[in-house]
Amino acid sequence: MLLSDLLDAPVHDADGRALGFVVDVRLVLDGPLDGVLAAPRLHGLLVSPRTGSSFLGYERTDENSPALLARWLRHRHRGTFLVLWDDVLPPDETHTPPAPTITLRHDYRRWSPALPQH
Amino acid sequence: MKKIFAVALGVLTAIGGFVDIGDLVTNAVVGARFGMSLVWVVVVGVVGICLFAQMSGRVAAVSGRATFEIIRERLGPRVGGANLVASFLVTVLTLTAEIGGIALALELASSVERRLWIPFAGLAVWLVLWRVKFSVLENVAGLLGLTLVVFAVALFQLGPDWGELVDQAVHPRVVEGEGVPTYWYYAIALFGAAMTPYEVFFFSSGAREEKWTAKDIKQSRVNVVVGFPLGGLLSIAIAGCAAVVFLPRAIDVTSLSQITLPVAMAGGKLLLALVILGIVAATFGAALETALSTGYTLAQYFGWSWGKFHRPAQATRFHTAMLVAVLVGTLVLLTNVDPIAVTEYSVVFSAIALPLTYLPILVVANDREYMGEHVNGRTTNALGLVYLVIIVAASLAAIPLMIATGAGG
Repeated sequence: MLLSDLLDAPVHDADGRALGFVVDVRLVLDGPLDGVLAAPRLHGLLVSPRTGSSFLGYERTDENSPALLARWLRHRHRGTFLVLWDDVLPPDETHTPPAPTITLRHDYRRWSPALPQH
Repeated sequence: MKKIFAVALGVLTAIGGFVDIGDLVTNAVVGARFGMSLVWVVVVGVVGICLFAQMSGRVAAVSGRATFEIIRERLGPRVGGANLVASFLVTVLTLTAEIGGIALALELASSVERRLWIPFAGLAVWLVLWRVKFSVLENVAGLLGLTLVVFAVALFQLGPDWGELVDQAVHPRVVEGEGVPTYWYYAIALFGAAMTPYEVFFFSSGAREEKWTAKDIKQSRVNVVVGFPLGGLLSIAIAGCAAVVFLPRAIDVTSLSQITLPVAMAGGKLLLALVILGIVAATFGAALETALSTGYTLAQYFGWSWGKFHRPAQATRFHTAMLVAVLVGTLVLLTNVDPIAVTEYSVVFSAIALPLTYLPILVVANDREYMGEHVNGRTTNALGLVYLVIIVAASLAAIPLMIATGAGG
């Protein structure tokens, strides 16, 4: 699976209700060592309810400037959440093309899209 | 002492490097048709490029990421990719215009056909890209470009009616016989000539080439805030020369020899020789910058190793991309297109492509994760938002105006 298969893909819950679109993926570097860095692992998907366009990174922090831009993007992407990759049902490989739909487990959990503060 | 020298060198190269074929042609064409009535656009454009270059330079110095790495990261592969295609094509178009400019200037100097010079100009650009160190190519072209100051000297020697010129500049109105859409079309062209995307790719990637850190922010700010406005004054002098010589006679500027004519009228052979030297240096320098920018944008989007600080063998795809871009530009020119016409289109397409490059930089310049204490201040952000509106408006208006006016007719 490629990153571009995931980005902009529609997301549904187990009952088939539309939840939004994948706007970004979150990777963590905790795999085995690959060269100088740990191999990245797909941690989860960022799902925005209304649009598949970019959030420009405002979901990661509480950064608030330039104010007009931040406010507009937050409004456009309100309700964005992080869903863990473990809560995503394995994609139906027989169902290509068109672009796959992401389906979540019925007990999936919505996490805050912000990065943990350190 | 060393520090003063470094600042002076930075400022001087910023002045000499500011003017390229886009500024030369657009300012002369506009001066001849509209007098000084579009000088306000040069001012708006210069403030804009100061703001944009200063932000992207600061982002590159602090976060270590050049402009297209930021674009790729914030816009994602798809919109980022569309942006890459647009920015890359505009940069190749600009590169084509610059190589054409070198050939035209050499034709003026030698009376040998420009088509014979084109392959040599392309070859020379590629050889310099391949062999010469970054700091050398940047400084030599910038310093020689300073000889364009003869446009200002010529303007004084022509002894114009200053009151009339100032009046045209401060009370802008559409000259009789020109339509309002044409006026605005050229306003966008001038804006695109002053705020060209490649300048920012080059500036931010150059910050990485020269290994800037947060400590260098102050000096880079001085280079930009002093150097670019003085470069802008050169642009205005070019427009002024054309306004004095061509506007009263209702002559359109369509060739490089016309652009240099006011200088020859004012100062004879000596100034003419200097201005040709300046044009060769300015277009050659800009050809290097645009060619490097094609390599930077592609390499930064795809994550290839890039930069002149690598040997060509260690950054093969970066160097191949530049070679192909120079080759394409040269071949396009050999089809006998008019370099002046290519230039006029390149500045308008620059204005069209600008918003997608500008927006991610404005956002990242505010991101504390990347920038720490060096985020934008309130004033910069207020100005940044005003320019976002201007840039988007110019970009949206450009194509309709191009169609309505038949590209300036």
